[in-house]
Amino acid sequence: MILSGLSLRNFRTHKNVTLNFSKELNYIVGGNGQGKTSLLEAAYYLCTTKSFNSKDIESVTFYENEFEIKGIFKDITEDKIRLIFSVPENRKYYFQNDKLISRSSQIIGRFPVVILTPSDHSITQGAPSERRKFIDSVISQASSSYLEVLLDYNKTLKHRAVVLNLLREKKTKQLETELDVWTAQLIAYGLDLINYRQNFLNNFNKYVLDSYHKIVEDKEVPKIEYFYLDGNETHDIKKKFDKLIFDKREEEIRRAINLVGPHKDDFVFTINKINLRTFGSQGQHKTFQTALRFAEFFYLKDTTGKTPIFLLDDVFGELDAYRAGKISNYLKEVGQAFITLTDFADFSFLAKEENDLIIKLDKGNISYA
Amino acid sequence: MQIAEPLLIAIEELSKLPGIGKKTAQRLALYILKTDQDSVDNLVKAISDLKTKLHFCTRCFNLAEDDLCDICKSTKRDTTKICVVEEASDVMAIEKTNEYNGLYHVLGGVLSPLSGVTAHDLKIKELLLRFDKENISEVILALNPDTEGETTSLYLARLIKPLNIKVTRIARGIPIGGDLEFADEATIGRAMLNRIDL
Repeated sequence: MILSGLSLRNFRTHKNVTLNFSKELNYIVGGNGQGKTSLLEAAYYLCTTKSFNSKDIESVTFYENEFEIKGIFKDITEDKIRLIFSVPENRKYYFQNDKLISRSSQIIGRFPVVILTPSDHSITQGAPSERRKFIDSVISQASSSYLEVLLDYNKTLKHRAVVLNLLREKKTKQLETELDVWTAQLIAYGLDLINYRQNFLNNFNKYVLDSYHKIVEDKEVPKIEYFYLDGNETHDIKKKFDKLIFDKREEEIRRAINLVGPHKDDFVFTINKINLRTFGSQGQHKTFQTALRFAEFFYLKDTTGKTPIFLLDDVFGELDAYRAGKISNYLKEVGQAFITLTDFADFSFLAKEENDLIIKLDKGNISYA
Repeated sequence: MQIAEPLLIAIEELSKLPGIGKKTAQRLALYILKTDQDSVDNLVKAISDLKTKLHFCTRCFNLAEDDLCDICKSTKRDTTKICVVEEASDVMAIEKTNEYNGLYHVLGGVLSPLSGVTAHDLKIKELLLRFDKENISEVILALNPDTEGETTSLYLARLIKPLNIKVTRIARGIPIGGDLEFADEATIGRAMLNRIDL
């Protein structure tokens, strides 16, 4: 699937622009504040109905009432997509071939997208919740059953927290039994999640290794290790889960929070078995983040059978020319991608091919090269 | 815009009903305005009777005109079975099938601590009391297959099983007459898990 063109009206700095894209690599070049990232944001909106970095209202040009994004996706067929956000109504309208689509579940997954942004640093450097968010989003895009279990699990957590809080205030037999059944439910969904995540990582690690070696050609071996229920042993998870939650029961009631389960999982990224988060260099972090997104791209392509569009925001910023050149080469295997670059950078590393497009943004003017 | 006050009030009241927005409410109000007085009186009476003539069965909490509902009063039902449902509308849904001839018990909801519903907000104590008075041999749990429904089933099973009463849960799977290809993944997945021997 490719995005063949984009029209923007009152979208951030873009008052009124229309762009055509190459079905291969599109390098978007311009100085700071020229609206490079906004183009990626617009493409992301068409795929997901959401922004990747801000609220809808922040994307409307100052003093305007609405923004509009139009785009054409080409696959075997052609889909014209139009998205309007109205400030007075605080509402989004999403049209597919002039037909209003009201449920976002009908859109998500239809035009798969993978995005690499500078904020990805939080995946390798931030809190465990950032890594769970990343892993959850990749699995959810490939498996809607996973998403269902995840939503059920999260709901169970919230219900259970309320019961814990009630028990803290007053211990009754009835509430104890209620806690027991919410616990049983939490364990059932939780085991499902752990199982999904284990299977996913067994598979996904191959993609990470592959992608990483396309970017750095040395003997570094990247791996995502999964830590669940305070460890990563694989024998009899259920027994361990039961025991942990039984042992923590009093503490859970005292603090009225859920202390055991996959919402506490962590994923540890290692290079040659050494923890990236503690010992990794900036370059290794950036390379790992980039490899994760490439891995996500190829994983989704293989499991869903659809080729996502790939958005890369300022990927070359912190990399040396060698790695940047490798990534530029690697991108040829992707299909369609959109890559932003600041204009003062030296482009000599870019392995630009005939079909690739350089789109220059300068004070609202657009030129192609 | 100026709208006559009685019309405005009618629109406001109608739009409080579930599934009725402002525009539909206005259409309904204008329609009522045009119909003859008899029809309007009948409608008003039907609505009013709903509240005055119907209440909850004192045994099973289904809708009833008297103390007991028609099902509890009937002598033709199998009084050894109780089917536990969430709302009275579920009783109607099951009755339409003509496949079940036992009694019911309407919980009036499911466990949902987030919305402030715990066990004592439901007719669970009343259900347990029925086991003392009636001769029940099987309880069929027919709650919705979502997180809250499942957890409530689990809760009831824990309470009822020790009383040596059989507890079953309705099966779930592919809708009859439905196309397999159009069923959602969770349904097909569960139907696969709960498959039966032929």
